[in-house]
Amino acid sequence: MTDPAIAAPERTTPTCPNCGNAVAPTASFCEACGATLTPTVAEDGSEQPPDELESPITLSRPLDASTLETDPPDGFDNTLVVTRPCANCGGEIGSDGYCLTCGTKAPTERDHYTEHPASWVAACCDKGIRHFRNEDATAVAADPDGGGRAALVVCDGVSTSVDSDVASLAAARAARDVLMAHRPAGIGVPASRAAAIATSVEAAAAAANAAVIEQTAKDSSSAASCTFAAAVVEDDLIVFGNVGDSRVYWIPDRGGSGEPRELSLDDSVAQARIAMGVPRDEAENGPQAHAITKWLGRDTPDFVPRTGSMEATRPGWLVVCSDGLWNYVSEAGKLQELIAELSVADDDPLALSSALVGWANDQGGKDNISVALARLNGP
Amino acid sequence: MAEFSATVYQNEFLPDGGTDVNAIVTITCTGAGAAGQTGAGDAGEIIIVDTSGSMGRMKLEAAKVAAAAAVDQILDGTWFAVVAGTHQAYLAYPPVRTGTGMVRMDARTRFDAHQAISMFRSDGGTAMGTWLTLTGRLFDSVPMLAQRHAILLTDGENHNETPEQLTAAILGVTGKFQCDCRGVGVDWQVAEVRRIAQALLGTVDIIPSPDQMGHVFEELMQQSMSRGVAEAELRVWAPQGAQVLFVRQVSPTVEDLTARRVEVNPLTGGYPTGSWGDESRDYHVSVRLSAKAIGQEQLAARVQLAIGGQVMTQGLVKAKWSDDDQLTTRINPEVAHYTGQTELAQAIQDGLAAKAAGDEDTATMKLGRAVQLAAETGNEEATAKLRKVVDIDNVETGTVRLKRSVDRADEMALDTASTKTTRVRS
Repeated sequence: MTDPAIAAPERTTPTCPNCGNAVAPTASFCEACGATLTPTVAEDGSEQPPDELESPITLSRPLDASTLETDPPDGFDNTLVVTRPCANCGGEIGSDGYCLTCGTKAPTERDHYTEHPASWVAACCDKGIRHFRNEDATAVAADPDGGGRAALVVCDGVSTSVDSDVASLAAARAARDVLMAHRPAGIGVPASRAAAIATSVEAAAAAANAAVIEQTAKDSSSAASCTFAAAVVEDDLIVFGNVGDSRVYWIPDRGGSGEPRELSLDDSVAQARIAMGVPRDEAENGPQAHAITKWLGRDTPDFVPRTGSMEATRPGWLVVCSDGLWNYVSEAGKLQELIAELSVADDDPLALSSALVGWANDQGGKDNISVALARLNGP
Repeated sequence: MAEFSATVYQNEFLPDGGTDVNAIVTITCTGAGAAGQTGAGDAGEIIIVDTSGSMGRMKLEAAKVAAAAAVDQILDGTWFAVVAGTHQAYLAYPPVRTGTGMVRMDARTRFDAHQAISMFRSDGGTAMGTWLTLTGRLFDSVPMLAQRHAILLTDGENHNETPEQLTAAILGVTGKFQCDCRGVGVDWQVAEVRRIAQALLGTVDIIPSPDQMGHVFEELMQQSMSRGVAEAELRVWAPQGAQVLFVRQVSPTVEDLTARRVEVNPLTGGYPTGSWGDESRDYHVSVRLSAKAIGQEQLAARVQLAIGGQVMTQGLVKAKWSDDDQLTTRINPEVAHYTGQTELAQAIQDGLAAKAAGDEDTATMKLGRAVQLAAETGNEEATAKLRKVVDIDNVETGTVRLKRSVDRADEMALDTASTKTTRVRS
């Protein structure tokens, strides 16, 4: 005799969110009212995969089939899987990606995602408020506990090119993988260690550049392109590099010695004007301020990153971010104040990255926002 | 199996505070097959011929040729009947009094129908409402029909019925069958017959001279037989709180569908579209939303084609609020084109109505505007027809003079063709 208590969990027959009629779990449309449905069971009877927040990241659009590898890189998934209710009204999201009740576009996983590979490293990437697509991308990785290696990469897609959201994500991930894989062993002197890691940052930029080109359709008139900012942490050593105007900051905790610093140097018209003696505020808000002079992609003038390194001798935050954040808080000292004001509990990098993104959205969210963080506790 | 596809043409960008979204949705059907042959149900055809006294010998003989030509185009296996209409309606074929009022087409019934048609005599008055009512009852007598189509031929005004009686008759058969209407000669009323054709999802046109009737009927029946999709419904979903301002078919002809909405569910309206062959039809959908913040995106409408409650294709009409003037001020060429063509149809009809009422100032102004719109939207057929009614002084400013002597058939042809649109020139 079958004990009902241990039988398969009873599944109630789903009903149409539009008209309330019973519908088949495999149905894509309601037989009664024709509303678009998201099947809860695939045609072959298998359960639809549960909603994943971290991975796979769902792209806002399908990838160009000609550039899609048969074995896609980790996390690439070109199918739209949206099973959460509408953020605006709580209604059901249709298989077309819009709410069946109020029509609000459901954010895709690509529009907002977080990464949290280890307790001391995290990233948050967000569409912002005023853009229709998230062309920023982050990719972070870390050894499980503080003190090992971490890699933080931010790429900001150039919005005048097609598919830059796809390209930036591919670039960030390709760079991250290079940075985690290259581990020079047996090098004792900090200077030579930094030089070896700087070489991997250059290799990572080259890999990212190749990934962008691979995502660009051969006949595309507007080649996909993006910025590149990366930082590698190995114990207390920080090695960084950038192409374009995404930035790397070192922000030590407030109240001790040591100054907060902008480690990277923008490849931008604004930076060129600052170098000519124009005040930072004026340069960063002047005409063409956001025009970048170097980028990754098929038409790149030069993709070799400017690299550098430093020793983190005190507790603090390593910040890699896109201009969606620094547009509102450019100066390292101001960023230090902001981080102190946001005061997240337990030096949690995920909470801080989300708080910084939320703060940038509160300022207007005029651009996509990416923040990648590593928490360093000093020697 | 018929396949449908939908393409949306619109500027999805709205300025800050913008509320109204306009889109042209092209729905295309391929692989429709032949009427009654797709396994989805039988097809029925009824030929309605005016046999009133005004037809006289010449028109009646031409009508016999036309009815016979139409009969010849009906595919074997299709249910059919022939109705003769005067101030009453007579079932001319099949020769039955009760029960099933239609027969399947085969060699014998085709021959018998020809015989029956050859017996037509012209006599009596005109009461088109009774013709429609009988036709509805004949279709009702064959329960297995999935597709019902009629061709109606008339030559005169509806003398033996009040407009209210005709309205009641039209209402009584709306949704029961589709009807293409043709008027022969110049003694019939375009507005009256258009009323029938519009309600019954059909077309209206003039056959200026009797010898053209046979050819017209042959074509009409061929076209109907090539419509393998018996019945389809256009569906428009709009978000909660939104207002559907209008839904119009804009190609091949302008038909305002807004008032024909049947609720599918609170957010979705259904609009009957009749049968489909391999063809494309364009729809203009206008939706008013509440404005959202810059950077927000939402769906303004889902425009679908459904058969038997099943959605075959869907087009998404979107709204994105942007502060980029370059995006928000862009005018979509398809929307602009069909907005002009809709105004053109109205200007022609209003102008001719004013002319008939003796209001020459209004007629001159409206037909002048029509000349302007026809040129702007590249509708050469309308321009050619307008030239027969007005002398054009200046196309760009729409300055025209009413012609002193106009062939009545030309004026009627301008009226019946007013709703025909051209596609966007790319």
